[in-house]
Amino acid sequence: MSLIEIINLNKIYDKTKVPVHALKDINLKIERGEFTAIVGPSGSGKTTLLNMIGGLDTPTSGKVLIKGVDISKMKEDELIDFRLKNIGFVFQSFNLIPVLTAKENVEFIMLLQGISKDERERRIIELLNAVGLGDKLDARPYELSGGQQQRVAVARAIASHPSFVLADEPTANLDSVAAEGLLDIMKELNEKIGMTFIFATHDNKVIRRVRRIITLEDGKVKSDVFQN
Amino acid sequence: MLIKLAWKNIWRNKKRSLIIILSALFGIWGGVFTNGIFIGMWETTIEAAINREYSHIQIHHPNFRDEKLIHQYISNIKDVENVLLANQNIQNFSLRTIIEGMISSPTSVSGVKIVAIEPDREKNITSIHQKLIDGIYFGNKENEILVGKKLAEKLKLKVNSKVVLSFQGLDNNLVASAFRVVGIFKTESKIFDETQVFVRQVDLKNILGQSVPIHEIAIRVKSSELIDTTTNLLKAKFPNLKIESWKELAPELSLTSGFLYLELNIFMGIILFALLFGISNTMMMSVFERIREFGVLIAIGMKRVRLFLLIIIESMILLFSGGLLGTFFGFLTIQLLAKNGIDLSIFEEGMAAYGMAAILYPQLPFHMYLSLFAMMLVTALIAAISPAIKAVRLKPAEAIRTYI
Repeated sequence: MSLIEIINLNKIYDKTKVPVHALKDINLKIERGEFTAIVGPSGSGKTTLLNMIGGLDTPTSGKVLIKGVDISKMKEDELIDFRLKNIGFVFQSFNLIPVLTAKENVEFIMLLQGISKDERERRIIELLNAVGLGDKLDARPYELSGGQQQRVAVARAIASHPSFVLADEPTANLDSVAAEGLLDIMKELNEKIGMTFIFATHDNKVIRRVRRIITLEDGKVKSDVFQN
Repeated sequence: MLIKLAWKNIWRNKKRSLIIILSALFGIWGGVFTNGIFIGMWETTIEAAINREYSHIQIHHPNFRDEKLIHQYISNIKDVENVLLANQNIQNFSLRTIIEGMISSPTSVSGVKIVAIEPDREKNITSIHQKLIDGIYFGNKENEILVGKKLAEKLKLKVNSKVVLSFQGLDNNLVASAFRVVGIFKTESKIFDETQVFVRQVDLKNILGQSVPIHEIAIRVKSSELIDTTTNLLKAKFPNLKIESWKELAPELSLTSGFLYLELNIFMGIILFALLFGISNTMMMSVFERIREFGVLIAIGMKRVRLFLLIIIESMILLFSGGLLGTFFGFLTIQLLAKNGIDLSIFEEGMAAYGMAAILYPQLPFHMYLSLFAMMLVTALIAAISPAIKAVRLKPAEAIRTYI
């Protein structure tokens, strides 16, 4: 069974003056341990597709199966619970809760999961060390650079031990050094612990590093290639 | 977790939160203190009326209070006395003879209520002996009389002035007798001071030539909680007599007291109503500023009910941090001023017309603090509902892409 299976997925936004067919008959399979990018020009549907995979939006037709479970049929509360247990998110920017420290931001998702204090402490130290921020535990987001904030977001995304991480333009607001540093960490997590990462991006730095590139154009899969 | 996060969220915009917290602090402080003043004023008035004339319970002939005729006395006085002496709730009681009559001085005449008492026994019931501004509380000569300041001014009386009391005797004939003023009292009530005079029963007995009729028994119970039970007990024992607590004797005092508490709760409600808009507006702004953040929180797995609770807690913190401090300062202010009272002697004339004391002792009963707490709770909830609904209705996919 694939980690993610998308079958005949369509999304039409019909609340606009002219209905927008954002995704057209998408069929995809993503396996565990992949390091994949969904790419395409603006308006090609990559964020919409990422939202469908992450259960943040519902398809007009078709199915999204995560570990064999059709999340497109789930109710709102079930979806929130499913996301909490199965999906890690890294967004473009302003990911973190500004009033919480780096440590508290990572801890927050584990508190939602009801993980014990000892286990939370262990994971916080381990993850913030892994993203190179072992000395910034008590720093608030505004005390961190954009790259450091995104690294905290990565630590938070994997703190809940998700099945995969969705990253929507994670390097969009970073300079190239910070972007490369962030990608190094994600790649390392992918290689070391087998964490699956799916990016929506048009950043060449990301595209160069992934093993699979799914290209969307006008809501359709234009190409799906693997690279070394 | 939610409380900690809510607390931190409150302090994101320190200036905005402080304005609301300080508004709540000063609003509630002012409200609590004002309530303390009004309740203190009214409770002091009631206490003064009880001490001056009503006592806790009074017993009369069933028609006496309406017609005030000398024949309408308590006939089975010995039986009643025995029951009162045996009752453990009763601290003291006094027997009074009350006759409507006229008082004449060389310069003027006035209608008065002549209250014949046993002076030593009366001391345990009323506070007249403490209200003397001139003279003494009866000496050892015959036919001594205490008059109020207002009556003394009206009839141009001083201590040692002579007056003549005239009234209808038990045989329906007009009786007149000369009395000497030995004391002038001044109570909180001008009307009382103008219309009541006190003489000794023993003197009245000599004038009437027979034992004095008892028209009124004034009773003090050991604590105010015992008033109603003792009244009901006596009513059951003496169905042929009229037995009334001070609330029945002075329904206007009792009724006003009830209304006062209602009015003061409404007053606090108005203060909180004004605060409600401030808090709701602050919370709404705060939600609008955090749409993206809430989108992220819902996306990563925070249930909407928790988000709803987060907003409610933030609203509670905003109101209660200022409100509880305001309540505490209000309580402190009341306690400090209750020690020596607030001297309002400059308004004494006007206040005396309503039977109000010139020294005001602020007080606020515990149940008023409880109702304030409940009202604050409801206010914080109502203030948070609209912003909380706005937050939980956010669609994460849209909220995440909202930039403010």
